Amino acid sequence: MADYDRRPAGGGYNNRKRRYRDDDDYDRRPQRRRYDAPLHVRIRKQLLSLAESPLRRWHEDVQSIAQLIADGHDDQDVQTTILDLVPQMVLEQPLKIPFVAAVVLVINSLKPEFLDTLLVRITSTTEERVKDGEWRDVKLYLKFLACLQSCFEGDGLFSVLEELFSRAVDLQTASSDDTIGTELVKIILLTIPYILAAAPSTQSQQKAAELMDKTDIIASEPHALQVLIDPYHAEGGTESPAANMSIVGLLQKQLQTEAASGWSLSCLPRPWRMPLEEIEQQEKLDNAQKHALPTISLPDKVAAGPRPLFPEVYYSVYIQEDIESVPPVTNIASSLIRDALLDTINVLHFNRNVTARFLIDADCYFAPGTFIKRATPFDRLREVDSDRSSWKPEDVAVDAVFSQLFQLPTPEHKLVYYHSVLTEACKIAPAAIAPSLGRAIRYCYQNSHRLDLELGYRFLDWFTHHLSNFGFMWKWTEWVEDVNLSDMHPCKSFILGALDKEIRLSFAHRIKGTLPEPYQALIGPEKEQDTPEFKFNNEHTPFSAEGKELAALLKRKAPEEEIQSVIDRIHSVALDQAIDPLVTSTDIFMTAVCWVGSKSLSHVLACIERNKDRLLDAGAASEAARAQIITAVMNYWSAHPGVAIIIIEKLLNYSIVTPGAVIDWALVNDRAGPYGQALSKAWVFELVFNTVVKVTSRLHQVVKSGTSEGLQEEITAMRDLFKAMDDALVSWAQGTKDQLMDPIVSDGGEDLVKRWGERWLRVFRRRSAIEEAFLNENQTSTENV
Amino acid sequence: MPPITRSTVDRLDQPSAYYHSRNNKRRRNDRDRDGKDGRDGDTDMADAKPEEPPEDPLRNATTLYVGNLSFYTTEEQVYELFSKCGEIKRLVMGLDRFQKTPCGFCFVEYYTHQDALDCMKYIGGTKLDERVIRTDLDPGFEEGRQYGRGKSGGQVRDEYRDDFDEGRGGLGRAIQSERMRESERNRERDGHNEDDYGRLR
Repeated sequence: MADYDRRPAGGGYNNRKRRYRDDDDYDRRPQRRRYDAPLHVRIRKQLLSLAESPLRRWHEDVQSIAQLIADGHDDQDVQTTILDLVPQMVLEQPLKIPFVAAVVLVINSLKPEFLDTLLVRITSTTEERVKDGEWRDVKLYLKFLACLQSCFEGDGLFSVLEELFSRAVDLQTASSDDTIGTELVKIILLTIPYILAAAPSTQSQQKAAELMDKTDIIASEPHALQVLIDPYHAEGGTESPAANMSIVGLLQKQLQTEAASGWSLSCLPRPWRMPLEEIEQQEKLDNAQKHALPTISLPDKVAAGPRPLFPEVYYSVYIQEDIESVPPVTNIASSLIRDALLDTINVLHFNRNVTARFLIDADCYFAPGTFIKRATPFDRLREVDSDRSSWKPEDVAVDAVFSQLFQLPTPEHKLVYYHSVLTEACKIAPAAIAPSLGRAIRYCYQNSHRLDLELGYRFLDWFTHHLSNFGFMWKWTEWVEDVNLSDMHPCKSFILGALDKEIRLSFAHRIKGTLPEPYQALIGPEKEQDTPEFKFNNEHTPFSAEGKELAALLKRKAPEEEIQSVIDRIHSVALDQAIDPLVTSTDIFMTAVCWVGSKSLSHVLACIERNKDRLLDAGAASEAARAQIITAVMNYWSAHPGVAIIIIEKLLNYSIVTPGAVIDWALVNDRAGPYGQALSKAWVFELVFNTVVKVTSRLHQVVKSGTSEGLQEEITAMRDLFKAMDDALVSWAQGTKDQLMDPIVSDGGEDLVKRWGERWLRVFRRRSAIEEAFLNENQTSTENV
Repeated sequence: MPPITRSTVDRLDQPSAYYHSRNNKRRRNDRDRDGKDGRDGDTDMADAKPEEPPEDPLRNATTLYVGNLSFYTTEEQVYELFSKCGEIKRLVMGLDRFQKTPCGFCFVEYYTHQDALDCMKYIGGTKLDERVIRTDLDPGFEEGRQYGRGKSGGQVRDEYRDDFDEGRGGLGRAIQSERMRESERNRERDGHNEDDYGRLR
């Protein structure tokens, strides 16, 4: 080892490159003895890859790393590496927590003094995270400590849990809307099983029973906000499939069941148990030194943390199948596995490839026999013996990602992150994942009538984005019969929305090529046309000459006056014909802008930019003109609503149109489709939803910037917007809208419209409630300061 | 600033090796061009605060370079995909210097740095228009950068490519023109011309 990195400069066959590095004294590149990497580097590498091997030689892996660490205990680098890496692994690779804990337990049997510093490090960091309200981090550290319970004196971690519980009680008694208390109870309930897996003594069982007696009231009480975030919006007279699926409520019941059966906790890995032939090692472990758990003091008033908390609902796309392909909600495994996978997914947002790998390898990190062999086809599950597990690891993984995609009000990361995780998983193991995804898609499609509308849109967005990564291949034949349904039927609405979204990511001709015959008619020739016709090119269109003239002027960037003179001419003709002059000229002008800019978005945006003063004046002049701007854009791009939506978004940025005008246009005045048909169109939802998000995120910006200037106006504007939407949607939902009364549509379509109205209403009432809660929170927080 | 801890797995929101190598080579030039603090690298640095590392031009980057697009991919398609990470402030399509047609790259500018990072993490390496696209953090678009820097006007990588890529004009352009010249020569040598086409030889 003496010559490690001490090779003299120059010489050797690889001398050629030296010319470029002659400022170096000597060549630092390790040249042959690569296996001589410093000890702490090797330890880091081994620890990081812990338990990844499907061979499952857990006890061997654990012992060899522990031995390495214990041997190098005097090495300063080894110490710092371990002290930094262990807590970091706990947070970044949650599935490996029990295995890291096992390594620490074996170290304890070799070099017990090592644990003193490590425990102090973990507990003090836990304290910090509690202070910051970083509840996931707290949960993960506690989970790690729970796995170490066997080396603690006295009650060990239970005293911390008791303390946490008393904080939860304080919070819950203070307010029934409290969500932090519920979160604390969830953390307690998720920690208990790991304690019992690590130290299954009667004393632990008794302690756990006492705690669970206490948590029962908080956990079993349905949370006030739960109805708001239920992923299903059940039709009148039916119950949501997720009505009794509160995560804490389920946990409480599952743990009680587990307690009654003697805490078998059969899904949890126990890498600290040595196999029978290693009885000596086991004895050493059992008799290793005990440590006092350093106190973790909790602040009297716990913080909410950076992310607003909401009660959580257990969502599964596979749970209603007749064969158990995922753990049932009666089994604690459903909660424990889901929790570990969700943490993995949300923590590792910075590398979706690694996330996907963890999901595919999920079965490596749980007890042997928890899952059936990977990629077992669903149909084969029927043949599995009743005493063996039929849980498909890929179903469990996909289910976890879907629960995030369908998390209300919003998941932790942008939705596209979860899209990308599924894409990668599908790339790594297509044979295993693709069929599971197919079943998930079918489930969502069949439930689209009762899925919350916002989630329905998320599903559409994911589905089409996913297909775009896999050659737009889908078995459309299985939905062929739905092509003939009314466009307002939820399934047909989904199909229409999906085809539009697919075309946006590709082009009409390509998508047509992926579709069976009956679908072909859904993509008309207008969709295959890149540039829509300019209606004023048709001689029979009123104002055809003026339209063409304006377009020509816009094209050659003519001066204002020339444009104005044409506009003036239009006004006088319109006055003669007794039609609104401004609406008429706005329609012609905006349509001409669209046509002149039809070559690409850059073109149209540049054209709008050049003419923004004129458009601003038109938009400000009257409500009718504002609406006409939107109508002109929408009409021109009617075959490609995606383009129209982008243009409207930019017009909103310029304040040429107002959010209120967009809402009016879409929901009040029938312009987006007669007799409430607009409500069934995915792109109308997208337009309105984006507009609302624009308004609310603007408000968030103002609030966060801390200025009170203009804040009240923003708040009022937002409330007015929600009020206007509510008014419009209520009349659709209750069937009191005039248009709905129209006899032409009284063919049963009425109920469909009402149902769409209800679904829209729920989405935007929720958004409104969340914004009010946000305002409420931020007002109180500024008052406190 | 807290010390940056290395994650236990690689991060996808880091600039590429390409950016770093290019940046190192051109650091002096970049500084000269940057009017705001026209410091010239090493000399001025010594006067000011020698221990302060140079400001990372990507620290607040909101722009991404997007590569490996098909020549036929439209702005609308880019918008549809990239909007999933946040509202797009500006989109600049890369054009052939001579023909002014798309040549397979673009710049996407977001309003926030976070959106740009998210785009690196969630969209880089996925497909658009059925091609795996590449994203890289970029210090910001400047006039002139929308044009290909290859000899024939497109991107450099399309000059000498010897694979046939339909979405990017077939073979590399240098190879194409080489082949063209060759067939020209053959034709001249064989004494054929257009009129001869189809005649038995």
